[in-house]
Amino acid sequence: MADEDAATVKEPLDLIRLSLDERIYVKLRGDRELRGRLHAYDQHLNMILGEVEETITTVEIDDETYEEIIKTQKRMVPYLFVRGDGVILCAPPLRQ
Amino acid sequence: MEEVSASARTPADFLKSIKGKPVVVKLNSGVDYRGILACLDGYMNIAMEQTEEYVNGQLKNKYGDAFIRGNNVLYISTVKN
Amino acid sequence: MLFYSYFKTLVGKEVTVELKNDLAITGTLHSVDQYLNVKLNNVKVVNEAKYPHMMSVRNCFIRGSVVRYVQLPPGSVDIEILHDATRREARG
Repeated sequence: MADEDAATVKEPLDLIRLSLDERIYVKLRGDRELRGRLHAYDQHLNMILGEVEETITTVEIDDETYEEIIKTQKRMVPYLFVRGDGVILCAPPLRQ
Repeated sequence: MEEVSASARTPADFLKSIKGKPVVVKLNSGVDYRGILACLDGYMNIAMEQTEEYVNGQLKNKYGDAFIRGNNVLYISTVKN
Repeated sequence: MLFYSYFKTLVGKEVTVELKNDLAITGTLHSVDQYLNVKLNNVKVVNEAKYPHMMSVRNCFIRGSVVRYVQLPPGSVDIEILHDATRREARG
């Protein structure tokens, strides 16, 4: 069980396991996104992230033109515990 | 062996038969993810490869690998190529 | 049990709990249980101007399920211990 399995993805959570100590992207409910280093997680996707950048996206309607104005708000947090029930998607950092 | 692939009989058989295939995963929010299904578990947590995120039919993001938390999943559907 | 164990090590430390309704409360962690319900003492609401009715609240119980984030005090995050505990937990 131990060595040969360490680097394989047999179940979805293995993808998260392989991201331990890496910077990951997390998409959350409420139009929130996090980028940070993954220090801990469990089966609920509760996590502790370090050097976290949170991005909150909001849409406002212009009073006159009724155009949608998309605004993003960013902030940095040194260490953040994230409750898993808000998680939609996790991905290793964008590498294109 | 053969009977599982073409005429899957239970939802579990279907899920087993689509591993490694291109799929669309629709979330409760309406967002679609298109990519290759790597694997899934009993909670319907999903690992996908070459994933594209579509919001209102528009491509919004690409991820090399993506983990989708199962509670958000509305359906998983197979697609051609 | 990983995060329950971890939060127990934070008892007595100051944390900021951000709730799903956007209310953020800073306080001293008094206790935590297996559901990650928490009790905070000496609480202060981060945006007091917006939530004036919270001014007189000194301590509170927060149900784990309404928590979005907890901001952790940097000095009390031992990365090595967390990594080891996470790997042990992942193995089942």
